Amino acid sequence: MTMATGLVDAPLKAKAKRFGFLRQAWDHRFDYLYVLPAIVVMLIVIAYPIYYTVELSFFTTPPSLQLRDKEFVGIDNYGLILSSDVFWRVTANTFIWTLASTAFAFTLGLGSALALNHEFLGRGVLRAILIIPWVISAVAASYIWKWIYHSDFGLIGAVLVGLGLAERPPNLIDSVGTVLPSLIVVNVWREFPFAMIMLTAGLQTVPDQLLRAAKVDGAGAWQRFWHVTFPHLQGVSTVTILLLAVSNFNSFIIPWIMTGGGPSNASHIWITHIYELAFGRQRWGIASAYSVLLFLTLMTLGYFYVRALSSAENKERVA
Amino acid sequence: MSMTSIVTTRRGKPIDAWRWIGRIFLVMMLFYTAVPMAWMLLTSIKSGFAAMQLPPQWLPNEPTLASYKKLLDPNNSVGQDFLRFFWNSLFVSTMTTALAVIVAVPAAYAFSRFDFPGRKFLFFAVLLRNMFPAVIFLVPLFILMRLLGLVNTHGSLILTYLTFGLPLAIWLLKGFYDNIPYQLEQAARIDGATRFQAFVLIVMPLSAPGIVATAIYSFIGAWNEYIFAYTFLNKNEQLTLPVGIQRFFSENTTDFPGLMAASFMMSLPVVVLFLLLQRYFVRALTEGAVKH
Repeated sequence: MTMATGLVDAPLKAKAKRFGFLRQAWDHRFDYLYVLPAIVVMLIVIAYPIYYTVELSFFTTPPSLQLRDKEFVGIDNYGLILSSDVFWRVTANTFIWTLASTAFAFTLGLGSALALNHEFLGRGVLRAILIIPWVISAVAASYIWKWIYHSDFGLIGAVLVGLGLAERPPNLIDSVGTVLPSLIVVNVWREFPFAMIMLTAGLQTVPDQLLRAAKVDGAGAWQRFWHVTFPHLQGVSTVTILLLAVSNFNSFIIPWIMTGGGPSNASHIWITHIYELAFGRQRWGIASAYSVLLFLTLMTLGYFYVRALSSAENKERVA
Repeated sequence: MSMTSIVTTRRGKPIDAWRWIGRIFLVMMLFYTAVPMAWMLLTSIKSGFAAMQLPPQWLPNEPTLASYKKLLDPNNSVGQDFLRFFWNSLFVSTMTTALAVIVAVPAAYAFSRFDFPGRKFLFFAVLLRNMFPAVIFLVPLFILMRLLGLVNTHGSLILTYLTFGLPLAIWLLKGFYDNIPYQLEQAARIDGATRFQAFVLIVMPLSAPGIVATAIYSFIGAWNEYIFAYTFLNKNEQLTLPVGIQRFFSENTTDFPGLMAASFMMSLPVVVLFLLLQRYFVRALTEGAVKH
């Protein structure tokens, strides 16, 4: 079969075109052996759960999760969610969390990458130190910062009192007004190194000759950045921002460990809220419906993500 | 126009104002990054009493390794638990890493070398993995694991970590294979090697840095994972470190030196591993995004 491919005559070729995909797939059948293990594992652990979540979102289940007792309720779960105040509160939190974390992580990462982009003594050490927060587990990071924010003996409170800026240590993560910004500081601490790594690599693609030529022509540092460096970073920046946004949208550990979503939902984001609904209150149907909504939101985000990634790819190809 | 031309030194040579801004910025970033880590270390060598003073002891008056000794002493219950969690984490992470490499290597090779329909699937698998939070998969996976009889076993974690790590692992490795000239393999095959021999003898050694990067990625990911471990395991003797530390904290809510010492020891292996091998890792991570 495979050997005959080169010899087919015209009508057969037309037929082959019609069944092009299957035909090609058959011709390459042995190639699939290499990817088979990976695909099987992913189908079991990713595809099945997605299907299952969608199904469950139309049912209510008893807390015991005895699935044969589940009851079909149509779209009631969705109605319940969209009409609840908590949903809108949590949604607002999620967007503030995602936007602020992404913006700060990207800006600080870009700044660090640029500032570290020329040779100086100790650059390697400095770069390594700046990357460490990204490697440390989020659970450890959460506890380190929980201790720093501690309302009696925390480092920040002690410094503020020591400098005479506060009479007593502030309640940073136990009060509704400050909890979300405080957690964002922790999240950015863990995430900016990722942006730094990506952008450092991006900076390697900026041609030295162009920068030197611009300098000879009298361009200042800012002009060189804006007209030479920045255009070269656009592809990497898009990818980095989207990866950051998606992972921030999906954050769980930092709010969950540090506050558990409190006080009074002020630091609940979608994921922590879904987790609490499912495993805390055993409301599996509602939690599944929430997941589906999350899913749809992510699909929308993902649409832009794919477009940005493929246009970045095309740009590289053309260049 | 720019700030450079305004500020000049006595010798009339322009000072690069931006360079100074960069330096000040770096000092601030160093502060932001290092102070929390330093505070963790300083707290971990204080006694419980010394850690809870106002004003604080900025540097411990009487540094002590008591917290570390307690955690590493197999003869008391805290140490027993901690060592067990540590061992569990090590086992789960190592198994995940080994399996990830075994499954990802052939897959990445195929995605790089063969042109079969459905190749784009890889791209979407990477997206899916990055886009969908673990929580979405938790309920159905929990049910699936119950079905497979894997609840409360390390097998449930290994299977899950393997799956969620695979797409990016394949993607990372593919970047390396793309950079190995196909002519090398062709030459070997002209000399009589089979495709498999060419793969093992030529491609594998050349892609060793990529395999190392993939392995580190899998190991760190598995070592730090929390949600699945928190959901799938509830027997004390099976917990991994992130969940174990959480349990430790909920039982000793005021032992901050102990908590900081545990956090430090949990971070140490991955940080050391990363620092030793960061060159490979950073290269692999950025290869896909920058070069394609």
